[in-house]
Amino acid sequence: MSYGDTIPLHPSSQSDIDEIENLINAGAHSATVLPARAPSPSRASIPVSHSPFPLPPYQKMPPSSSPTPVVSSVPAAAATTTTAPGGSSRIGISTDALESPPDTLTEPVFDTVKRDLTRIVSNLKLVVFPNPYREDPGRALRDWDLWGPFFFIVFLGLTLSWSASVKKSEVFAVAFAILAAGAIILTLNVLLLGGHIIFFQSLSLLGYCLFPLAVGALVCMLEGNVIIKIVVVSMTLAWSCWAAYPFISTAVNPRRKALALYPVFLMYISVGFFIIAID
Amino acid sequence: MEEGYTSLPTSHLLGSVPAVIAEEKPSAGTSQSLPANLQVFPPGNGGYIPPESPLGGEEQAANNWKGFCSLSSYTPYFNVDTEVVVDRIISSVYPMDDFSRKIDGSPDLYGPVWISATLVFMLAALGNYGTYLIQKRSEQNGDWEFDVSYVDWAACVVFGYAVAVPAAFYFLLQYFGLNANLVRLWCMWGYSLFVFVPASLLLVVPSEIFRWIIIILAGSASSWFVYLNLKVSTEGSDTMPLVVSALVLQFALALFIKIFFFS
Repeated sequence: MSYGDTIPLHPSSQSDIDEIENLINAGAHSATVLPARAPSPSRASIPVSHSPFPLPPYQKMPPSSSPTPVVSSVPAAAATTTTAPGGSSRIGISTDALESPPDTLTEPVFDTVKRDLTRIVSNLKLVVFPNPYREDPGRALRDWDLWGPFFFIVFLGLTLSWSASVKKSEVFAVAFAILAAGAIILTLNVLLLGGHIIFFQSLSLLGYCLFPLAVGALVCMLEGNVIIKIVVVSMTLAWSCWAAYPFISTAVNPRRKALALYPVFLMYISVGFFIIAID
Repeated sequence: MEEGYTSLPTSHLLGSVPAVIAEEKPSAGTSQSLPANLQVFPPGNGGYIPPESPLGGEEQAANNWKGFCSLSSYTPYFNVDTEVVVDRIISSVYPMDDFSRKIDGSPDLYGPVWISATLVFMLAALGNYGTYLIQKRSEQNGDWEFDVSYVDWAACVVFGYAVAVPAAFYFLLQYFGLNANLVRLWCMWGYSLFVFVPASLLLVVPSEIFRWIIIILAGSASSWFVYLNLKVSTEGSDTMPLVVSALVLQFALALFIKIFFFS
């Protein structure tokens, strides 16, 4: 055991040691050490392990192999872990379990983009579409991110700006300012009313609830008839408000629910009106 | 073996954490001290006055900049329920004396902020809708465009008025020696703007006479509300010109709304 050492260890080396410990203690069956993040396939691994068997830089482990002698099977045994959470055809997760923190720096850009897109889609499904977890705000947006809201706000601003016939840049500026500052002010409003909400989680949520309005804006840009625009915007507006309702209403005292919800509806209605009026 | 660890003398070890002593916080005292402390804007420490009252003043001054930045020091001004806000809004439309009694203990800033925001949206949206109706009615070249500058103007005028005018009156009243409370002034002026929200709905009707009638009625109601409440605040001393100027300013705002957005 090297726990008695006073030499400061590299964090990934500590996970190496944990891995080895688990395998030694687990005995026959391999310890399934699941990586913290969904790993990606073949990846250049920076050799940081101080084990007597240094890993070659570009190592791609076979998908499954029975655990042979413990030490040498450290790289291989981790590969016998079951499919990583949310994993597609992912192999080569051995290096992953040993050195999770620096991986996202060296992985291919496509992996990063794909991971972020997957997260955006999954957050979108949780927030905007009906699913059994919507009533549980703690579960719903645990893995919040701000890329989705940013993308939707910029998309909405660009769509409105494109549909406008005059003062395009001012339209974009107004739309962006209303949405971005509005999200912050709405979150502050909930916090000031004594509600319990996490600041960035709420920003993320309010941004994701813009998705229906962004779709509505796209439809209105392509369609010219005012009646159709009104119908489409009303539907998407109702959808956005329905999406935001459970999160906001459960965050505050029930006697102040209307006080917390009204500004949200005000912001969405003003954006909806903006979409209809811009032609 | 756990109890053995707690009995070990550890205070001589470097970096040891001393045991937590349960402190008695006079939480009951805050409920009485809240109204008094709300007179200072913003209240440091979230309205909590420390038990050593002689030092309370100094600590207030020292923590004032910290109170300005932290969110918890503004929470007492949003300590309202839905019924309270609705009640205050209704009593703002009928210019009666009840309003100042209603906000005596706890002026709130929720009303002013969101009434102003609603008014900005209403003016921008309905102002554009009004020009749309007028253009359709007069059958000009049907190329109506949404004028985005209405949003900018509405935001600047409404928020500027709601923030700057009560602050100016606060300083003027202090200059005249009267004890004015800034938050109460903001609260009162904010609620006085509410009557313009239904008025702007009616101002959409594309008839000039009707619009002028509506705005004169709304302006008078709002100005009278401001006048009554300011008179109560100043207790009728030698500040009549001040109060009258508040009334005139409110009416000027009403006229500006009509002329800029709905003509």
